[in-house]
Amino acid sequence: MNTDLFPSSICYPFHRSLYLKVCNKCNKLLGCFLARRGAMALTQVSSSKCCGGYQKVFEHDSTELKCKMKFAIYLPPKAESAKCPVLYWLSGLTCTEQNFITKAGSQQAASEHGIIIVAPDTSPRGCSIEGEDESWDFGTGAGFYVDATQDPWKTNYRMYSYVTEELPRLINSNFPADPEKMSISGHSMGGHGALICALKNPGKYKAVSAFAPICNPIQCAWGQKAFSGYLGPEKSTWEAYDSTVLAASYSGPELDILIDQGRDDQFLSASQLLPDNLIAACSEKKIPVVFRLQQGYDHSYYFIFSFINDHIKHHAKYLNA
Amino acid sequence: SELSKCNSLLSERTTQMENFASNLEEIFITVEENFGRQEQNLEQHYNDVLQTLSQRRHERITALQDEKKLKMEALYGELLSCGRALDASKELIEKAQDLNQEENLKMPISLDFVIPSTDFSDVKQMMESINVVPAPSAPVMNPQVSNSATASTLRVCWSLFSDDTVDFYELYCRHISEDSTTGTMQEVPSPPVIREQECTSCSDAALIRWDSGNTNPVESYTLELSENSLSKSSVTESIVAIPTCECVAQLQPWKCYVIYVRAVNIGGPSERSQPITISTTGTFFHLLRETAHPSLSVSADGFTMFYLDEDLPLSDIAFSDNTFASCVAVLGDLMPVRGQYYWEVEVDEQTEYRVGVAYEDTQRSSYLGANTTSWCMRHILTPSRHKYEFLHNGWSPDVRITVQPLRIGIFLDYEHGTISFYNTHLQQHLYTFTCCFHHFVLPCFALDKPGALSLRNGLAPPCYVTQTARPHH
Repeated sequence: MNTDLFPSSICYPFHRSLYLKVCNKCNKLLGCFLARRGAMALTQVSSSKCCGGYQKVFEHDSTELKCKMKFAIYLPPKAESAKCPVLYWLSGLTCTEQNFITKAGSQQAASEHGIIIVAPDTSPRGCSIEGEDESWDFGTGAGFYVDATQDPWKTNYRMYSYVTEELPRLINSNFPADPEKMSISGHSMGGHGALICALKNPGKYKAVSAFAPICNPIQCAWGQKAFSGYLGPEKSTWEAYDSTVLAASYSGPELDILIDQGRDDQFLSASQLLPDNLIAACSEKKIPVVFRLQQGYDHSYYFIFSFINDHIKHHAKYLNA
Repeated sequence: SELSKCNSLLSERTTQMENFASNLEEIFITVEENFGRQEQNLEQHYNDVLQTLSQRRHERITALQDEKKLKMEALYGELLSCGRALDASKELIEKAQDLNQEENLKMPISLDFVIPSTDFSDVKQMMESINVVPAPSAPVMNPQVSNSATASTLRVCWSLFSDDTVDFYELYCRHISEDSTTGTMQEVPSPPVIREQECTSCSDAALIRWDSGNTNPVESYTLELSENSLSKSSVTESIVAIPTCECVAQLQPWKCYVIYVRAVNIGGPSERSQPITISTTGTFFHLLRETAHPSLSVSADGFTMFYLDEDLPLSDIAFSDNTFASCVAVLGDLMPVRGQYYWEVEVDEQTEYRVGVAYEDTQRSSYLGANTTSWCMRHILTPSRHKYEFLHNGWSPDVRITVQPLRIGIFLDYEHGTISFYNTHLQQHLYTFTCCFHHFVLPCFALDKPGALSLRNGLAPPCYVTQTARPHH
C-alpha cells in the first residue's frame, strides 16, 4: 500500500484497481471497491471543520477531461448520519474550486439546511494545449461548460459532460449524497452553466438559481469568442448551449428559477449578461423566474455573499421537500 | 652457540619479567595503601559532617525552646492583664447601671412638674386621625383564566390600585342557584348576541365579540366552548367573569369549536346565545367595512371587493376619519396576537391591486405602501408587461416576475418579523419584507383600477411557506 502517494487519502489503492475506503476520522475500514482505470481514486487535498461540518478539497483523474481535476465539497453535520441532497455550484471566468468556498459564505446556510455543496474547477488544467493560457476569457479558467467539438480543444474541454455526468457519479459513489436530489447554481459563466444544465436536462435538477448569469452567450462578446473556439464557426451548434434559446423550447417539469443581478455590474452595462432576453423568453414560455435587480451591487463575490442565503433557502425548499 | 645465545636471551627475559612482576606488586601495594588512607580520610570527613549537623540541630532546638518559653510567658502576662481589664470594665458597667437606676428614679420626680396641662390631647387626636392610612379603594376582579378551576377549587385573581396600602383582603363568595327565581332577586339577563362579522380566529386562538342585548343589568359574561362533535355538545371549557363584550380564547389547532356566551348577574346566568362555529385550520377574519373607501364595495359574503367603474354621486361620498380617502382600500380585522397568519388573494390578469399589511392607524389619506406604516405587493399593467412592486415607504426593489400570479399567498410571521408573498399555483416565493412590527398589523387590500379581488380565508399555510420561514436543523 503506497501511502506516500496518497498522504491523507480516504481511498487507498490496495491492489491494482482495488481500493479500500477508509473513514478519515476513525480509520475504520468502510468498504472496498473496484476502480475503472483508477478513475474513482480520490485524493484529499485539504479538510477543515466548518459550521459543524467539513469543507474539503479533493483531486482525481478525470476521464472526461483527461487530466487531474480538483473540486471542493462541503459536508454538513447531517451528512454524518444521513444522505443529503447536493447543490452543484459552477464558478465564473478565471475561478478555481477555491473562490466560492473562501468568499461566498455558503457553509452556514448549507449546514443549517443539511445540503452538500460541490464546487468544481472551471476548466481542465495543464493539458499543454497551445494557446490555453493566452487569455483569461478562453482556455484555462474559461471552460464555459460546453463539450468542445473543435481541435485542439475537443479532447479535454468537455466541462458539460464532466459537470452533468462524471462529477455527480463520483460524488454519489464516494459521499453520503442522495442521488435523487440535486440542484444547480452558479455565478456569471457558471450561472450560464447552471441554467443550461437545468434547461437541457428536464427533471435532473430539482431547483436552479444564478447570480449575474451570462443569459444569452450567442449574443455577447464572451460567448461568441468561447463558442467559436470550442464549437466552431457554425452558429446553429451554439444554440444548444444558450439558455435564452433553450428556454424558448423548454418542455419538462416546472422549474422555479431565482436570479440575482447587481445593478452596478460593469458586465451588465457592457451587454455581456443580457438578462432581459432570458426574461422575455421565460415570460413567453411561462417559465417561472424571479429576477431581482439589486441596487448598488456589482459583479463580485461581495454581491454573491450578500444573497447566498436566499439562494440556499430557495434550493432547500425543493431539495428538502 | 645459538642455543646458549637463546638461553641467555631467555634468562634475560625472565629477569625482566621478574622485575616487571615485582614492579607491579609494588604498584599494587602503593594503590592499596593509598586507598586505605583515602578511606580513613573520607570516614573522618563524614564523621565531622555528621557531628556538625547534630551540633547545629541541637543549637536550633534549644534556641526554639527558649523562644517558645519567652513567648509563653509574654502571653500569660497578657492574659492576666486582660482578665484584670475585664474585671475593671465589669465593675464600671455595674457602676453605670447603678447610676442609671438612680437617675431613673430621679427623672419622674422632676418631670411631674413640667407637664401639668392636658389641653393638647384633642389636638393630638386630630393629628393622629390625619396620619391614619386611608381606606383602600375596592379591588377589581380579574376575569377567570382558563384552567384555573377544578370541581372543588377556584382560583380568583384581582388587582389593586398602586396607591393603596393593604393589610389583608377579605374574599366573599356566594352560591348562585340555577333556579334563582326564589327570593326577591333581580331578573336574569337575556342572552347576548354574538357579532359574527367581528369574530376572528387563527390556528390557536379566537377573538369573540358580542352585544349585550340587555335591558337588565349584567355583571359579567361567561364564554362556553366545546369541541364540535355531533353529539349534543358538552361544554369542555368555560371562561367566567368576563367584564367586557369581547374575549380571546386559546384553542387547539386543527379543531372545530362551538362557542356560546351567557350574560350573568346576581339573579344568575342567562340562556346561551346563538352559537358561533370556529375552526382552527388557519387564519380567519372579516373586512373592516368601516375603513373601506366609498368607491370600494364588498360582496354579501364579505370576502370579495369591487371597485366599479362608475362615478358615485357626490352625496354618496361620505368620508369619515376611519375611511381611506385616496386609495381605494379596506383593512381586514386580524387577531391582535403575535403569531403566524396566512391568507390568499385571488385576482384576475387585468386587476391592478395592492395587497399586504398595514398598521391599524396607517394614514387614510395616503396610498398603501407609500408610507412607513404599510407593506404591500403591487401589480401594475403597463402596455409592454406586468409590473410588480413590493412597496414600503414609497420604495420598491426592482423585481421581475415572468409568470403572473393569479392567486397570491401572504404569510405574516411576527416572530421572524417577515411578510412574504407567494404564487400559490407555482408554490413560488416572490418576495419577503423583513421588518420588526412595533404594533399589530392588519391585512390590507386595495384596487388601483376598477376591478375585483377576492380574499380566501381559513386556509392552513402550505408547508413550502412555513418551511422556508425557518431552516430545519
